[in-house]
Amino acid sequence: MTVIAMKPEYPVTPVAPAQAGSTRIDFGRLMVHAALLAYTALALFPIALILINSVKTRAAIFDDPLALPSMESLTFGGFVKVIDSTNFLHYFGNSLIVTLLALFCIVLFGAMASWALSEYRFMGNRLLTLFLALGIMIPIRLGTVSILELMVRLDLVNTLTALVLVYTAQGLPLAVMILSEFMRQVPAELKDAARCDGVGEVKIFFQVILPLIRPAIATVAVFTMIPAWNDLWFPLILAPSESTRTVTLGVQQFIGQYVTDWNSVLAALSLAVIPMLILYALFSRQLIRGLTAGAVK
Amino acid sequence: MASVSLQALRKSYDGKTDILAGIDLEIAHGEFVVLVGPSGCGKSTLLRMLCGLEEISGGDMLIGDQVVNHLPPAERGIAMVFQSYALYPHMTVYQNMAFGLKVAGKDKAQIRERVERAAATLKIGHLLERLPRELSGGQRQRVAIGRAIVREPRLFLFDEPLSNLDAALRVQTRLEIAKLHRQLDATIVYVTHDQVEAMTLGDKIVVMHEGHIQQAGTPLDLYQQPRNLFVAGFIGSPRMNFMAGSVVSAQAGGVLVQLASGELVRAAVDGSALAAGAAVTLGLRAEHISESDSGSEQFKGEVSVVEHLGEANYIYVSRKGGEDVVIRGDGERHVAIGQSIVFSADSTAFHVFDERGQALRRLRPGNMVSAARSMMRSA
Amino acid sequence: MKHAVHTVRPWQLVLFLAPALLVYTLFSAMPLAQTLAQGFFSADENGKAVYAGLENFRTILLDPDWSAGFWNAMVNNARFFAIHMLLQNPIGLALATLFSLKGLRGARTYRTLIFLPTLLSVVIIGFIWQLILSPLWGVGEKLMGFAGLAGLFAPWLGQEETALTTLSIVSVWQYIGMPMMLIYAALLAVPDEIIEAAHVEGAGAMRIFWQIKLPLIYPTLGLVTILTFVANFNAFDLIYSVKGALAGPNYSTDILGTLFYRTFFGYQAQVGNAYLGSAVATLMFLVILAGVGLYFVAVQRRLTRFAL
Repeated sequence: MTVIAMKPEYPVTPVAPAQAGSTRIDFGRLMVHAALLAYTALALFPIALILINSVKTRAAIFDDPLALPSMESLTFGGFVKVIDSTNFLHYFGNSLIVTLLALFCIVLFGAMASWALSEYRFMGNRLLTLFLALGIMIPIRLGTVSILELMVRLDLVNTLTALVLVYTAQGLPLAVMILSEFMRQVPAELKDAARCDGVGEVKIFFQVILPLIRPAIATVAVFTMIPAWNDLWFPLILAPSESTRTVTLGVQQFIGQYVTDWNSVLAALSLAVIPMLILYALFSRQLIRGLTAGAVK
Repeated sequence: MASVSLQALRKSYDGKTDILAGIDLEIAHGEFVVLVGPSGCGKSTLLRMLCGLEEISGGDMLIGDQVVNHLPPAERGIAMVFQSYALYPHMTVYQNMAFGLKVAGKDKAQIRERVERAAATLKIGHLLERLPRELSGGQRQRVAIGRAIVREPRLFLFDEPLSNLDAALRVQTRLEIAKLHRQLDATIVYVTHDQVEAMTLGDKIVVMHEGHIQQAGTPLDLYQQPRNLFVAGFIGSPRMNFMAGSVVSAQAGGVLVQLASGELVRAAVDGSALAAGAAVTLGLRAEHISESDSGSEQFKGEVSVVEHLGEANYIYVSRKGGEDVVIRGDGERHVAIGQSIVFSADSTAFHVFDERGQALRRLRPGNMVSAARSMMRSA
Repeated sequence: MKHAVHTVRPWQLVLFLAPALLVYTLFSAMPLAQTLAQGFFSADENGKAVYAGLENFRTILLDPDWSAGFWNAMVNNARFFAIHMLLQNPIGLALATLFSLKGLRGARTYRTLIFLPTLLSVVIIGFIWQLILSPLWGVGEKLMGFAGLAGLFAPWLGQEETALTTLSIVSVWQYIGMPMMLIYAALLAVPDEIIEAAHVEGAGAMRIFWQIKLPLIYPTLGLVTILTFVANFNAFDLIYSVKGALAGPNYSTDILGTLFYRTFFGYQAQVGNAYLGSAVATLMFLVILAGVGLYFVAVQRRLTRFAL
């Protein structure tokens, strides 16, 4: 049974294409763009400067620091020096291992603790939550004295394990806070349905909850991986040996050593910066989304 | 208060597709005009253009006799009540209402006088020192209206103000808005998607669809003489019954239609423009059907669903070879599901729409007892 | 949604909580507590730990050998913080406001690019600026020459009066991304309709900013302040990598973090003293606690988050 399609018929006047919209150049907007461009230049030029000059000869670096490398001045000598005299790739690997392992532990342990604290009512719940929350404000570095002694006793000095443990301890409070917030938003029906089906609590955690908090993991990653990767303090104090050196420490030591070799110094700085740039170029959207999502707490 | 004139108004975002095209509308001083239509029809966009929150892509907009196309909102003499009230959360009710006046540079005494007067009108004088989060939905809405009143604008704009309220509050506030209109002698443009709200509040109703005005007129006009299928189906609840058929004969004094389901129906419309054999759609409102054979045009079918509302039954009838029909029947009469039913209507009750969906002029609309009854019901 | 205890068994609770609590307690909470405790001890002639009461604190705060250094570091740290508050947060606020303007083309690109320095290691940043500001290289001087200010250029990092300020500005330059993003997120949360309503009432952009947007983001501004405070009084990496543990010239860039490092581990001629170091750490802890406490009591109570 069809009713005649209700396609109203009215005189369809052919519409003239809109006049090229009044391009009244908005002076205010122009000023805004000018300000933002200026600041962007300010934010980026130091990095750009380093990158440009890292592939120039020493003479070119000093004669004309602001110029792009030309055919004569182009050289990769600095990079060669850095990679030869230091174990740069090894340092990079160390940083990667430490950061990723720490992230893994933080997410796993943090999620488990968040789950227990946000889901179950038990004596001491509030106390434990407060205990963990304190860690956000109070810097872990103040306890370095004791941490070092503990590591000595556990025979973990100059191991990557020491760094992983410390960064995990450092990142747990904030991670627990972020993940708890997130978990509280998981609809109760999901959990109740699983319980009605007789699924045990542990299973519910691993099979229902953990997959659901993936978005929050981006936020946790931003707030924990970056400080861990860029940290100088703990690698310096707990694991300064050659085999366990991280990128950040390695660059700092290298520059201290070769401070007059501008070419190499610039190359070392560039090598430290480029991986971050690449990662950022690939993941900036997720990163910023993770940052702003966790910020609205 | 001022009149409003929209002339060939157009809105498009990218220069290619038009959100609104060819809007012509005259609003008289002191009129309460309701823009109504389904989501996406352009009514909110039109309101925002009136307000000055959206650019006008083409055509002219006049408030009073002044072309306001390029004027910023504050200089147009308008005030808007937003759907979510948009109260400033960190300011008290008094500060919320005083804000616009402060911007306009009025002195403190004047501001106090106006705010207190508006608060008294809306009966929120006791809430002046509260923050918005301490108020109920209905109270917040009044503050939003108060904020508009104090500015003594030429034109009030309302953007679906009742949609965030619960049903009971909605009816009550509807009455208050109607009273306010008379009290302030205000020119009001009001947007809603609810046709009952539109019919009860508006002096003039503008039905919009896909960026065009389908029809503008008084509630009764729209009810009795909908200009096309869309308006006919939009106005009135339950929705008008539509039946497909073809013309047997057509004169100025009436049209004889053969329905696809076989019945021959005489409709009292001006058929002078129709040719025999033309495809048409018949329209018949549920409230114009009687549950007996008393009307001139007869139908039969089987009852499939009955909704009991107490004041009426809505009887859904399936017809062999034809469309389902809904009948508004006597609420205190028993109707059984599955029972055969004979129903009828007067030839004057029918609407006829040609193959393009345009309505033919009805010869004697509203000339029925049941029509009078339904008018009173929808008021 | 909390559920009755009987749906979860005690052993399961322990399973969930243990790993995190273990790591946190062992490597964060306990060490901190031990450090605080150790500040009350010192070594006797044989090197054994002996209870010393407030002796260490007295030494650091009052003993002329030590207290000058401590108070110097405190004052420097306060200056460090002040410069951040004066530059980092207002500029961050300004940038965030610009980003949140309606219909700004390229806003996402600007945001992404301006945030870049925040991601990089402080060490790297420190070195980069050290090079740029180095009189040897001359880039800094050349750039100022573009603005006609070449005459004003000086080796600021090497001068006692300007070194700390310069490093503070470098730190601001790097970390501005954080408050910028946090404030931006808060500005986004202000409903559009409220801004539109103000616009309809005739408010201009400046009035909308000061009277509508700013009051609604006070909680975030408070958060940014306290985060800056904690970060500043915990700072170490930048000073260490640019100036070393001696925080020269002449301790003018010494802040609490470098003082702590030097006191505990020793540096060159100075011998490390774990007990005094712990005392310094305790004092740092108290300073930060005081700031945080002040924030929660005074500020948080007055800043209610408005139901938007």
